[in-house]
Amino acid sequence: MTSATRGGWDAVGTADRLRRRVADELGAVLAAGPVGVGRVHVGWVAARDVAGCAARYRGQGEDGWGFPGWSPATAAGAVARAALLAYLDDHERPGSGAAPPPAPLGTVRQWMRSCRDLSADGVAGWVAERRDDGDAAVLAATAAGASRWLAGFLRVMGWPLPADLGLLNAGQGTLTWRPAGVAGVSVSGGADARLGRVSGAGRFSLVVHRPAGGDDGAVEVRATFEAAAGALARGIAPEAVLVTAGDTGERLRLAVDDDVLAAGGGLVVDVVRQRVIATERGFDPADATPGAACRHCERALECPPGQAWLHGPGHARGGLPVGA
Amino acid sequence: MADPPPRTLADVLAGAVGPVAVPADDAEQIDHLRLRLDEAARAAAAVAGWTPDAPLRLTKGVVTWLLRCPRRALAPPESSGSDDVVAGLIVDAAAKVATLVPQRAATVEAAVAFLVATGDEGVADHLASLAPAARAALLADVGTRVAQLTSGWPAVEPDWWPRVEEPVRARLADGAVTVGGRVDLAFGGPPTSRPAVLVEVKGGRWYDGMRADAHLYAILVALRDGRSPSAAVTVVADGTTQVEPIRPALLAHAAERLDEAMQVAAALAVGEAPAARPGPYCDHCPVRADCPAGTSWRATKVPA
Repeated sequence: MTSATRGGWDAVGTADRLRRRVADELGAVLAAGPVGVGRVHVGWVAARDVAGCAARYRGQGEDGWGFPGWSPATAAGAVARAALLAYLDDHERPGSGAAPPPAPLGTVRQWMRSCRDLSADGVAGWVAERRDDGDAAVLAATAAGASRWLAGFLRVMGWPLPADLGLLNAGQGTLTWRPAGVAGVSVSGGADARLGRVSGAGRFSLVVHRPAGGDDGAVEVRATFEAAAGALARGIAPEAVLVTAGDTGERLRLAVDDDVLAAGGGLVVDVVRQRVIATERGFDPADATPGAACRHCERALECPPGQAWLHGPGHARGGLPVGA
Repeated sequence: MADPPPRTLADVLAGAVGPVAVPADDAEQIDHLRLRLDEAARAAAAVAGWTPDAPLRLTKGVVTWLLRCPRRALAPPESSGSDDVVAGLIVDAAAKVATLVPQRAATVEAAVAFLVATGDEGVADHLASLAPAARAALLADVGTRVAQLTSGWPAVEPDWWPRVEEPVRARLADGAVTVGGRVDLAFGGPPTSRPAVLVEVKGGRWYDGMRADAHLYAILVALRDGRSPSAAVTVVADGTTQVEPIRPALLAHAAERLDEAMQVAAALAVGEAPAARPGPYCDHCPVRADCPAGTSWRATKVPA
């Protein structure tokens, strides 16, 4: 039975049930494991890695599980969203008239120049530090990535942006769910924007922008995760998740229902489950799911299934036989 | 008297600032190309067994080698450690720095630092691994090329929306075949009011085969945007600039190449032995030692 029909979408009740179910499962997983799992933050990267190969995820260890820190690569989206938000704020002032589309590089650089507070939170503080250090190369690389992100986002979303679009994760903090009674676990989504007003009616969609993506199979998984993470963090389930691709110009819209949320909740629980297993027995190639990620896996040499995949007969690279 | 045709990137940007003049049948032609490529991809995928989960992934390099020498197309990825490759990467990065930070000189040092900042430390590692004399010689050579390239580099107005390494990709046959890459420099295009202009930067010497890369990107951008770019510009460190207006015939030719590359790839995927077609590129081929045809060709060629 599904309560999430489009006609009678109980966005709050659905999210509440998801919260209870995921919290119960997390509690059970942690209770069955050893003490000392520590803090576990579940975001998209962790969910993707676990879904791809649990053994590889566990093998990353503490160094791989956390946020790797700001760099031009990790800062691109955050800088682009912050710069766009600043641009929109400037141009929505009374009397400012119809705004021209923001030129990405100029908009990004203007925002980066405004970053002077070394103690600022998030990416703004990091940019301020780089400016203070006079790190021209890192600033140029960051501007390149952010302007690329912004151009792709505007190309897919169009200009003017939809009137009901609101940017998320643009320097205002990230909504995080900390399930009651489950110590040490937190969950947050990485959606870049929302379409529609977030209210109990649940008539809003989350937007995830991918500047480029070689792994099209992960798009639906991403949408599934963001649906659940968004519902858990807001206590209101979105009616859809829209994934936009800057490189192809495509949009994938995933309508959210109970099944999608259950699958997304399962991704969240799986991350915590793998962290429990990591505490018990660490990297174990018996749980490997060999695939293209083996080429970049730091544990590949100690993973017989991965080695078999990498050197197996008939193994293809990008659809072509290797070294024929 | 008619204006002379544009010969440089600056000419192209200066001459294309008006409203976008899109031919009336542009969208129709692009739809036609999309259908044609999709059909070709489905036919090739039916032979090779590619699926959206295990697709054929084509890039400009793979397309080039499938058509030029299928044996080379199946070779392991080229090492990024040769002087030639490193020089090309530095020149390429210098053009990007010149576009991103026009107020500063795009020097070799700035280009190498930019590469490191983007996570590519291979160039810096290669330079560090060289003996001082070899490093000095390489840096002098690259410095000349960078100076040649950037001396006439235009200051790009913000309204052109300059982008570096712009990703572009086409999914064909529902994703069973993808064709993708990164345009070195892209300007204009939707949603700006200006036409799209694509720039490919090459670090070596001009040869006619270079044009194919820009043509491939032109068709990918046309498929993505639903609007043809107005020009593809190949800028080479030897001072050559090739400006090509994007005409329907050029896009059709690029589609023919893609079609043929997919057919070759499908044959290879089902076990056909890759043909070796020797040529001047054999000197730098990573599998030259194991290639009788290439070895024979290299033995018989007349030294330059």
